[in-house]
Amino acid sequence: MGLSSIDDLFSDIPEEVRMTATLPLPAPQSEEEILADARRLLGANVPLSERVSFLGAGLYQNFVPSAVFQLVNRGEFLTAYTPYQPEVSQGMLQAMWEYQSMICDLTALPVSNVSVYDASTAAAEAITCAVRVHNRKASQKNTVWVSELLPPEKMSVIHNYCQGSDIILKTLLHTADGHVDLASAQSAAGSCGIYVEQPNCLGILDEGICGLKEIIGADTALIIAVQPTSLGLIEAPGNYGADIVVGEGQPLGSPLTFGGPIYGIFACTDKYLRQMPGRIVGRSIDGEGREAYCLTLSTREQHIRRHRATSNICTNETLIALMGAIHISMLGPEGMRDLAIRNMAACQATKQRLAAIQGITITHGEASHYNEFSITLPSKASEALVYLDQKGIIGGHDLGRWFGSRENELLICATDQTSAADIDALANGLESWLEVIS
Amino acid sequence: MSHLYGHFGAEGAGYSQPSALLSSTKLNIPSSLRRKELPALPRLSEPEVVRHYTWLSKRNFGIDTGFYPLGSCTMKHNPRVNEVIAQIPGIADIHPLQPEHHLQGLMSIFFEMQVMLATCAGMDAVTLQPVAGAQGEFTAIRCIQEYHRTIGESQRTKVIVPDSAHGTNPASASMAGYDIIEIPSTVDGRLDLDALSAAVGDDTAAMMITNPNTLGIFEEDIAAAALIVHAAGGQMYYDGANFNAILGKTSPGLMGFDAVHYNLHKTFSQPHGGGGPGSGPIGVKSHLADYLPGPLVGRRVLALNEKSNVSDAWYYNWVEPTKSIGKVQMWHGNSGAVVRSWAFYRRYGNELETMSEHAVLNANYLRHRIMEEAKAAGVSDAFTDGAPADIVKHEFTLSLLPLKESKGVGAMDVAKGLLDHGYMAPTVYFPLVVPECMMIEPTETESKEVLDAFAENFVKVLTEDAKVLHAAPKSTPVGRVDEVHAARNLWLRHEKGRQS
Repeated sequence: MGLSSIDDLFSDIPEEVRMTATLPLPAPQSEEEILADARRLLGANVPLSERVSFLGAGLYQNFVPSAVFQLVNRGEFLTAYTPYQPEVSQGMLQAMWEYQSMICDLTALPVSNVSVYDASTAAAEAITCAVRVHNRKASQKNTVWVSELLPPEKMSVIHNYCQGSDIILKTLLHTADGHVDLASAQSAAGSCGIYVEQPNCLGILDEGICGLKEIIGADTALIIAVQPTSLGLIEAPGNYGADIVVGEGQPLGSPLTFGGPIYGIFACTDKYLRQMPGRIVGRSIDGEGREAYCLTLSTREQHIRRHRATSNICTNETLIALMGAIHISMLGPEGMRDLAIRNMAACQATKQRLAAIQGITITHGEASHYNEFSITLPSKASEALVYLDQKGIIGGHDLGRWFGSRENELLICATDQTSAADIDALANGLESWLEVIS
Repeated sequence: MSHLYGHFGAEGAGYSQPSALLSSTKLNIPSSLRRKELPALPRLSEPEVVRHYTWLSKRNFGIDTGFYPLGSCTMKHNPRVNEVIAQIPGIADIHPLQPEHHLQGLMSIFFEMQVMLATCAGMDAVTLQPVAGAQGEFTAIRCIQEYHRTIGESQRTKVIVPDSAHGTNPASASMAGYDIIEIPSTVDGRLDLDALSAAVGDDTAAMMITNPNTLGIFEEDIAAAALIVHAAGGQMYYDGANFNAILGKTSPGLMGFDAVHYNLHKTFSQPHGGGGPGSGPIGVKSHLADYLPGPLVGRRVLALNEKSNVSDAWYYNWVEPTKSIGKVQMWHGNSGAVVRSWAFYRRYGNELETMSEHAVLNANYLRHRIMEEAKAAGVSDAFTDGAPADIVKHEFTLSLLPLKESKGVGAMDVAKGLLDHGYMAPTVYFPLVVPECMMIEPTETESKEVLDAFAENFVKVLTEDAKVLHAAPKSTPVGRVDEVHAARNLWLRHEKGRQS
């Protein structure tokens, strides 16, 4: 090669920008040492799986069948890049086409992409997509109405994604019983879209949402965020007029992993297809007419359209979506229904048990809840959580962290992993805390 | 073929679940919200599921399968210990809304990663929150935007990108609301300082550029470019996609950059999973640090009566930057990727520069071997350098325009020919500034034998009959896929009864 040393390979880096000292980092370690350190450090964390836990609030612990982990770790899936050469990527392409099919079946919509990053970015991308599709005809230009019952973290992501296109985000109100205020929804007619969650962040399933499409009309997008595990039991949004369905895919297939990597679901009607973000797999044929799959409609994407792309997304969450696909394959239609029943039953059992405790009020006691519900306490929820923590119980989420006016409310989540003994432990813990503070 | 939707077993097929906690009580579901018909999902038994996905995996190419010289994507080996670590319950089963004292171990790893990444890039502060490179770009551009607004310079509405830039650069800046100015490269594929000088002004918010550039060439004028942009009041943004080439040799900070993103799924070996997950932390200089998305991990000295279960000296806590742009992902980013990348970095420690050395050595060696083989086979005139250079960094480009003109064989045909030789094809038709471009990046984890064999096979493909290459690939699960057919006859999901 005509070179005499490694340094020659870096002779094109001008002297004035060259790093001269060794990086001030620790010495290299062997695999054994790294593993030991990882076990020591990560072992110091408190996993929900080792505690009685009622924490959900957007991430949910459901049982994930063993086959999911075994299959997803096959190196051919794990160590591939985005399938730019379809002839040698048929496996992942077909798996993602099947993922799209399953998301379409669950949501009752005709189109799904192969995932975005998470629920919050899915919500944000749905809102900007709705504006691209509807703005020309809209009487409320650049405007989308967003439910006030959104965790501030999610709202913050939405703001970041929307500010660049000057989108006006208006607040869709809820009534005191936690349901969408239909009068407020009326004012969204003529805007580009309306974004609501089913169940909402307080776990409430809202019948009123089924009537929203009629209220806002065809020229305003109805964007529904779902909890995908509910869709074997709870009506698919496509069947009550949803135009775009988004949601957090994590409960299907993925452990919590501290909130990432997880995957965002994005499905829509044909009308939004060419304005949607992310990769889409199409079924096609090869030169001999054999069934074959490839990425399609790439002209929406950044590597072709550059600054006029529908989104900047390139890398998505394919592998985690694959975990979801395998999980759904293991469940089948009846399994999806049964999983939803188990989630809902655990939630209802917890609710009934806590409702019997003097000093605790179920905040929206009449409502139908999926996975989680709020209880109102005589004192701050944060104090209850500290007390329960000392007893080895993770009691839920302090709603005061999300909504200033709800500091006495605790968001309690039960899933298929909740046992009767867990519920007893929580009830006993709360009872003894109530005694302490009274 | 195996079709998931070909499996419709008996009702209730699938794995068995325990019965619900409340089998006797009626669930409270409003009638209009109860699903009328079950979703039309397939019904499979566990062995059917396992066989189907195993069959699919055998129709997929990964680094585990073979050499993957996909330029710009840094497809290096993914150490398996990283996967073992990511499954420890202390990362797999923890929740971001748990209190700090439940999370001290992970937070100490976050802190270490923030420090390591800042050190390597010559930056002052790092957030791990962005979940992909493109999101890192967007996040950093948003920080620059808020910074300019705060100091009263919101007239800065333009972002400059070279025409050789990754497509995500202009897409990310545009998403943040900027107008894009694309400046042409010089004829030899370098940054054109005259074009840059002409483009900057008091409306310049930032310049986005990667170095080495997408042709694998180190931009020797980078410090001068930074001076030009800074003199106009703009900020310099470093696209970290090619950081693998220079780590420990120079840094974005030394080159004059104000902000940078890192691709943990490139430089730090997070597996790419067939399309993701990635992870795209960003680092910034101190004047931008207050704008980062929060929270970051900080630490304070333990008080006298305090104890920590991970450190004798420190308690780790969340810190919210004072002028934060807010969040770009709901939680703390792709923490699973951060933990894997932590394990990768620990393996190298203060010798991280050897990674770049081997990556650059492999790229130059492969380039040299391809030239040598081509000469011996008498096909040196089949291609030219994408850009003239004595040495390249971690990747290089070839233009197959001569082959296209002489034999009608383009870069895509050569790519498909390589598939028949058992290789993943290099990146083709990017960067856009090189006609019939092929972009080759071997990475540091390949041996001399692999590179030698690839060079031989690459040249073999160049000498193959045009007819053979136009018909390639032949040995793959399917032949050349008709992408035009796919776009014209959209078939995006299982539809019962549909045949074509």
